[in-house]
Amino acid sequence: MKIEIEIDGKKLQVEQNSMIIEAADNAGITVPRFCYHKKLSIAANCRMCLVDVEKSRKPLPACATPVTEGMVVRTRSKLALEAQKSVMEFLLVNHPLDCPICDQGGQCELQDIALGYGADASRYDQGKRSVADKNLGSLIATDMTRCIHCTRCVRFGTEIAGITEMGSIGRGESTEIGTYVEKSLSSEMSANIIDLCPVGALTNKPFRFRARAWEVLQARGVSAHDCVGSNLHIHHRRNKIMRVVPKENEAINETWISDRDRFSCEGLHSEDRVTTPMIKRHGQWEQVDWQTALHVAVEGLQTIAQTQSPSHIGALASSNATLEELYLLQKLMRGIGTNNVDHRVRQSDFHYQQATALMPTLPVAIADIEQQDLIIYIGGHPQFEQPLINHRIRKARDNGATVIMINPVDLKHNFDVSDKLIVANPLLPRALTAICRALSEQNPDAKTSAQELLQSVTADDKHQQLAKQLLAADNSLILLGAIAQHHQQGGLLHGLATLMASLGNSRVGLLTPGANATGAWFAGAIPHRGPAGLNVAKPGLDVKRMWESQLPAYLLLNLEPEHDCANSQRALKALHNADLVICVTPYKTAAMEQYADVILPMAPFTETSGTFINIEGKWQSFTAAVTAQGESRPAWKVLRVLGNLLELDGFNYVASTEITDELQALTANINSDQQINKWRYPSQLPAVNNGIERITYWPIYRSDNVVRRSVPLQNTPISDAPVIAMSQTLAEELTLKAGEDVVVSQVDTSITLPVKIDNRIAGNVVYIPAGFAETAALYESFGSVNIERK
Amino acid sequence: MNKLIAKLKSFTLWELLIGMKLTGRYFFSKKMTIQFPEEKTPTSPRFRGLHALRRYPNGEERCIACKLCEAVCPALAITIEAQPRDDGSRRTTIYEIDLFKCIYCGFCEESCPVDSIVETTIKNYHFTKRGDNIMNKQELLAVGDKFEQRIAQEKADDAKFR
Amino acid sequence: MVATREGQQMANANKARLSDSAKAEIDAWLTKYPQEQRRSAVIPALHIAQDENKGWLTTQLMDDVADHLQIPRVSVYEVSTFYSMYDLEKVGTHKVCVCTNLSCMLSDSDAVVARLKEKLKIDFNETTADGKFTLREVECLGACVNAPVMLLDRTYHEKLTPEKVDKILGELE
Repeated sequence: MKIEIEIDGKKLQVEQNSMIIEAADNAGITVPRFCYHKKLSIAANCRMCLVDVEKSRKPLPACATPVTEGMVVRTRSKLALEAQKSVMEFLLVNHPLDCPICDQGGQCELQDIALGYGADASRYDQGKRSVADKNLGSLIATDMTRCIHCTRCVRFGTEIAGITEMGSIGRGESTEIGTYVEKSLSSEMSANIIDLCPVGALTNKPFRFRARAWEVLQARGVSAHDCVGSNLHIHHRRNKIMRVVPKENEAINETWISDRDRFSCEGLHSEDRVTTPMIKRHGQWEQVDWQTALHVAVEGLQTIAQTQSPSHIGALASSNATLEELYLLQKLMRGIGTNNVDHRVRQSDFHYQQATALMPTLPVAIADIEQQDLIIYIGGHPQFEQPLINHRIRKARDNGATVIMINPVDLKHNFDVSDKLIVANPLLPRALTAICRALSEQNPDAKTSAQELLQSVTADDKHQQLAKQLLAADNSLILLGAIAQHHQQGGLLHGLATLMASLGNSRVGLLTPGANATGAWFAGAIPHRGPAGLNVAKPGLDVKRMWESQLPAYLLLNLEPEHDCANSQRALKALHNADLVICVTPYKTAAMEQYADVILPMAPFTETSGTFINIEGKWQSFTAAVTAQGESRPAWKVLRVLGNLLELDGFNYVASTEITDELQALTANINSDQQINKWRYPSQLPAVNNGIERITYWPIYRSDNVVRRSVPLQNTPISDAPVIAMSQTLAEELTLKAGEDVVVSQVDTSITLPVKIDNRIAGNVVYIPAGFAETAALYESFGSVNIERK
Repeated sequence: MNKLIAKLKSFTLWELLIGMKLTGRYFFSKKMTIQFPEEKTPTSPRFRGLHALRRYPNGEERCIACKLCEAVCPALAITIEAQPRDDGSRRTTIYEIDLFKCIYCGFCEESCPVDSIVETTIKNYHFTKRGDNIMNKQELLAVGDKFEQRIAQEKADDAKFR
Repeated sequence: MVATREGQQMANANKARLSDSAKAEIDAWLTKYPQEQRRSAVIPALHIAQDENKGWLTTQLMDDVADHLQIPRVSVYEVSTFYSMYDLEKVGTHKVCVCTNLSCMLSDSDAVVARLKEKLKIDFNETTADGKFTLREVECLGACVNAPVMLLDRTYHEKLTPEKVDKILGELE
């Protein structure tokens, strides 16, 4: 329902229940404000937005006054201006005059509004109060004397982050915003309070004092750490990235970004960046020019292709590589004559790869997740995998949706889970099958080819109840997290989720690791399909078989196999035994120096142009914010030159946009048939191993090479340490105590890790995080493991 | 008749005498030139010469790295890098003025909230090498330290006219 | 979780935890509020915890209250630091709160305060050496009709005179 009001003489049609400030914002009329924020609840405690409303004797706060039919509002009348000026004077009573040393100077709402609405000089000559600074951890610096108690940060914690850690302590003049007990903020989105803070009380700690708002240049970027593709503004100065702030995009990240997106840039200038091409000669690393390095690489590849066979070369890429890089990589490999190209480095199961759709996407737009009635999330921790998808799930929950978690670990979420099913990891396929059986019993109309499989299990009350909830929902969504995708039965789990969706009138979405897994599938960086799902005659080797086959040559793109791969020890063995390992990488690691033969320095995501396809299938292109450091070059250029030197056709690109255009043209070729899942279900579930099983998880701040090098992120309370976590029951069975060092062995290697007791882990399962040098020596990330006392 | 006068003037070197008269007048009048460097012209305390970074009486550098001078400099002659010092205070790590770019407008001094960067009345200085024209933080502070008394006096003298 | 220096000192000095009987008492209060609004019980819960711990609250006790009510800990800190009825530092056995607001002042509360300070040998916000009394200056206690007023623990003493103060304190000693 629209009603008519008048603001500053402008007649406006506005929504009935909106506030004056919303109507003014929509009409482009400026009303000064501090505490009001469109994404937060209304507090009306700063009083800065006082406006003159006709027939009201006093000025009213625009943020908390609903519009009424025929309302006449004046934002610049004498009364309004006087009120705003007086409020400004009160706000400045205790605000220090330290703008020259304040990081907010130049981008400060208080400065701007004081200039626009305040008085010229202060009449206040008493002493100002000072407030002790709080230590909120490694990401956020505080200068609490500057705080004007707008409580945006407090409301953000409760309403958006879902974890109330800050509050207003004390009252009256002694009110302070803080945590009361010293505490680092543990939200994965906590640093958004830096943007929310209208003054310089909460500022970016790593960025502290390094640059001014007016001297940085702003470039558009896309987050390279999760499949959301959050829009970024990258601020750089003198060819160095200074900080990252969110770029508003209502359809993707709203006004927020995760801390990982914001602070990963601290890892860009780490000491182990490679800035010159390097080759290993007689076991010694030499820095050489590009020509020499490329020739060594090309000669090596040609020798192996001629003396052995092109299929003895394998290429592996990170799913954080851009669409263009992945496309050129597969074009290069297929040009040489092999389909051995893959990006699914964390996956353990490739049995059903032919059955899946063209590329993993969400069946709904990211923004529509919050409109769902029911969401079933299988295997994973959305909060630490895709913080902004988790935010949408949380909003769905707030809107009254049912959110059900099916997980091998009873993880803590920042919203109340409606229902959960916690099963030991090896039993995850059985649990899903049981739910499918319950669904087929309750919904006999639905046809399925998996009857035999369904008959092999029994569904208990819990499964029946979950099935009932799924069937009752009109708008439901089944999401698969990282654990489900990386699971030793990951393919089957995906298939079972699809079956669940078809029996329960629902839809399945994958939340893929990395920023561009969807793009990698589309670009054809998979062994069994070409670009845009083109069929290939003879599928190449997938990641797992590439490692197991111990190929003589590997080409790695933006990858650190010891930290990024599911079977890191198998990968290391294969790489050590290979004759030629070419690493196109922004960073070098100690292990890489051992196994690599050629290191070609590539530019990370901020220094290259490219495209990411996010999980809803949206193409987002970006250009380089700064030029590549040292001699490093965008990987698409490196691959282009490699293609040219190998005398392959179709590598004469001048700009990365030409590659993007070529790929765009391919979208027309997509066969609608390829969009359909074609699953053939087994008649029996695979046998379950009774021993102790390992599950592996990439902690939020160990997820990729850039993030791992960001020191501030590593120092947050949610950054995990390399431990072996297990339930109390299992620990007692093995007579282990918390904190004790144990020897964890798999096949022929063993490592020592401290024990952590975590009763959320179900069954005879131990949790070992990946992405650490300490855990790189282990084999299967999902598989049996031996634990012995040291 | 005119011809006769012209002849007379040329024979008596009349024009020369007029010229000598001017020479003679200046020969005996008060001299405008000075004997530099023994003698110096008077300088206003407001004269804008070589830059200096000042310190507080306790030895603490005044500059707080607010970067207003860098922002206001119309010739982009100032380059500043800042980061927290060990005690957490905001300080510059690099403070450079390129004296070839500088147009001696004095805006840096005007913008400084802590009277740190000043233009002294020093006007006699030179560079012997390319690169010397870029004054770094140490050099600027050294100028400030050496001439602190003089700078303070000049600022005090000028204060009443501002 | 690392506590502030004061917080740590308090915690070290007093390791009291919320007792089961206190929890039962809080549960009784919880029944008076809607089930989804457990936060409403925070004020009575803090009173219960404070009474149990000789009149003051430790961070540990506040955490216990928060955990028992299943609300964020900082929400409890917000309440306990807001209201002056909660003490976050060790106090005397008896809390003497004397009003110095307008009505009491006009009825010569100054004399009452002077006598209190003289007798107890302490200033406002201090505790006697024997740990028996804590003296507080408070705003209006809502009994202006019988000014001057003081609140001794939970008892109102009205129409005070210095002599009456002597008598009241004498009875306690």
